[in-house]
Amino acid sequence: MIRRRQALTAWLFLTPAVLFFVLLFFLPIGNQLLTGLYDSDGASFAGLGNFSRAFRDPEVLHSFLITLAYAAGTLVVGTAVGLGLAVILNQSLRGRTVFRSVLLIPYLTSVSIIGLLWRNILDPQVGILNRLLEAAGLPGQTWLSTHPLATIVGITVWSGAGYTMVLFLAGLQGIPGLYYEAARIDGAGPWRRFFAITLPLLAPTTVFVSIIGLISTLQQFALPYIVTGGGPGNATSLYAHRLFLVAFNDNDFGYASALSLLLLIVVLILSLVQLRIGDRAHA
Amino acid sequence: MPPVMHPAMPSGTPTYNRRSFLRLGLGVTVLGAVGAGCAPAKPASKKADSRTFTIYWNAGHGYQAYKEVIDQFGKDHDLQMNWQKFQWPDLTTKLTADFRSGNVPDLVEEVSAGTGTQYGLAGNVLALDDFAAADKEFGFPGDFLDQAVVARQYEGKTYSIPLHLTANGLLFYNKAMVETPPATWDEFLEVAKSTTKDKVSGCALNSDASYAAPYYNQQKVDFSDVAAKQFLQPADAALQAMQWMQDLVYTHKVSPAPVATTDYSGPQKLFSAKRAAMFVSGPWDIGPIRQGSPDIELGLAVPLTGAVQSAAMAGSGLMIPAKARDPKLSWELITKLAAVKVELAATKEAGMSMPRKSWAADPSVAADPNLAVIAKALAVVAKQDVALSASGKAAQINELWKKAYQQMIIQHAPVGPTLDDFRKQAGAAL
Repeated sequence: MIRRRQALTAWLFLTPAVLFFVLLFFLPIGNQLLTGLYDSDGASFAGLGNFSRAFRDPEVLHSFLITLAYAAGTLVVGTAVGLGLAVILNQSLRGRTVFRSVLLIPYLTSVSIIGLLWRNILDPQVGILNRLLEAAGLPGQTWLSTHPLATIVGITVWSGAGYTMVLFLAGLQGIPGLYYEAARIDGAGPWRRFFAITLPLLAPTTVFVSIIGLISTLQQFALPYIVTGGGPGNATSLYAHRLFLVAFNDNDFGYASALSLLLLIVVLILSLVQLRIGDRAHA
Repeated sequence: MPPVMHPAMPSGTPTYNRRSFLRLGLGVTVLGAVGAGCAPAKPASKKADSRTFTIYWNAGHGYQAYKEVIDQFGKDHDLQMNWQKFQWPDLTTKLTADFRSGNVPDLVEEVSAGTGTQYGLAGNVLALDDFAAADKEFGFPGDFLDQAVVARQYEGKTYSIPLHLTANGLLFYNKAMVETPPATWDEFLEVAKSTTKDKVSGCALNSDASYAAPYYNQQKVDFSDVAAKQFLQPADAALQAMQWMQDLVYTHKVSPAPVATTDYSGPQKLFSAKRAAMFVSGPWDIGPIRQGSPDIELGLAVPLTGAVQSAAMAGSGLMIPAKARDPKLSWELITKLAAVKVELAATKEAGMSMPRKSWAADPSVAADPNLAVIAKALAVVAKQDVALSASGKAAQINELWKKAYQQMIIQHAPVGPTLDDFRKQAGAAL
């Protein structure tokens, strides 16, 4: 009787959360699935035609491949930069709180502002970076034209480094100091201590950082849209940008819905793979 | 938050105390607040809503002349005027979403001739011929220049009313750098070479693909022939035009390679910063140069002559969504916004050129040297293929063209194969 009452109480408290997820997540996903089964006019049933079309569409395949490249670049470089900053700012340095706060500012800034800021900084003709390079007697850059995807990766890493750093800092502060003390007594140097203690014990944080990073990078839309408009050509037209064009430019919401569901499946699979790898590493 | 285990209870049987209830209560409150934040804003009462008149407008066209008309219209009809301004791509995105949801504005500025036709044929905006026929005083189509009207008609129906009529292809030049403006392609190249010095480029190409139109039009190239499913024909002339543009950047080095962006004001900014001696654009760049760099002695010249002298027609229109709450009211505002006295006020304010014949005949317009140049450009605008808009594929094909153009001009891709690829993809899209 008591258990039943407790279960009822639990359900009572869970109901708002369940309703929240059903109404705002699962119903839209179901609606998306339904829309994906219809043609662009929304009237004729297309079955799985929209889903199979994605695998034959060169623009979609291109966007998917560059999105994977973007995600890989951002994850690897972003994790390394965040970890490096965390290790440095975990030392007892003077003014480290200020540094930590300053590094977090880009993460707290709107992506629109970051996009516009970097577009203006990197503009080859009127941007401030080339002015500085010129003043230093160095040749000007045209990265937005010559290395557009790498530039978008760089901006993403810059804006997210503070957040990654905070996560790694939390992880670092959870590692007991006595491990390092014992390693020091055994004669381990800083690099040895880093690779033998810090890195393995940060595995759960690294898995968390990489999963969160993967999900956000695979869905990246705003930054390339603002900085390059997906160009030059289609060099930075990431998957979400392609999806946007299919929906709002080609007015083909059936196909766009199918593309977004395929992205959901890819994100789920890759996240599960990462979790499995993380579990093994942790074990 | 897990419930607290009571020491007297057997392990695994949770119980609740006052603190755990407080925690759960707090959790639910936070969740509720988040849910409320994510929920759509509470709709205003029907009465208040029906008194709101929503207009979608281009952010660059928010002239005082229009604001006064809109404010007065609101007062006359006891309406709350909700004048929303967007950049063109954002306006298009929002409008597409609105058409899907059925919650549409009352009046929309049309990005360019043909867009209204595309929406109209899909049943999203109204044909306006009956309104115009019943409103002789407005003077449509009689008082409007033919090219602005014809480009908005399909199978006898007109889906938008011209608001502005401009031409892309005017030559902007800095009189301190260029003594005599070039008239032909050869002269243009010669002047561009002679003015390219140190940090100054002779000219500046745009990253926006639509700015290639004057160049290929000047080689008598048509962008599309939907009936024949052909694009950029004749092919050899299109190749010549695009190769010439690419050579300006990479062979003659008289223009910097533009940067891929959604902003089309790159050449104007270079010109305003005195880093470019010339660029090709339309009247919309006159205002920013005058306001941003009043020290520049701006020269405006007629479109260049390649095989022919030509320019690309531009200019926005006004359209009424099919589900607008009171189309008659929307039409009334169109007649006020496109009245000749408002056109003249907008011209005085921003230098914008207009589609009415009575506007062109006004002494203040005829006496303005810049407007005289624009009028000459309007006389040589290339004919538009209205069937492209009617196909419903114009936006998709323009996106393909943008990709091809940027590959040629920014990424230095070979012109011939890139044009061939574009033709293949555009044909397939049709």
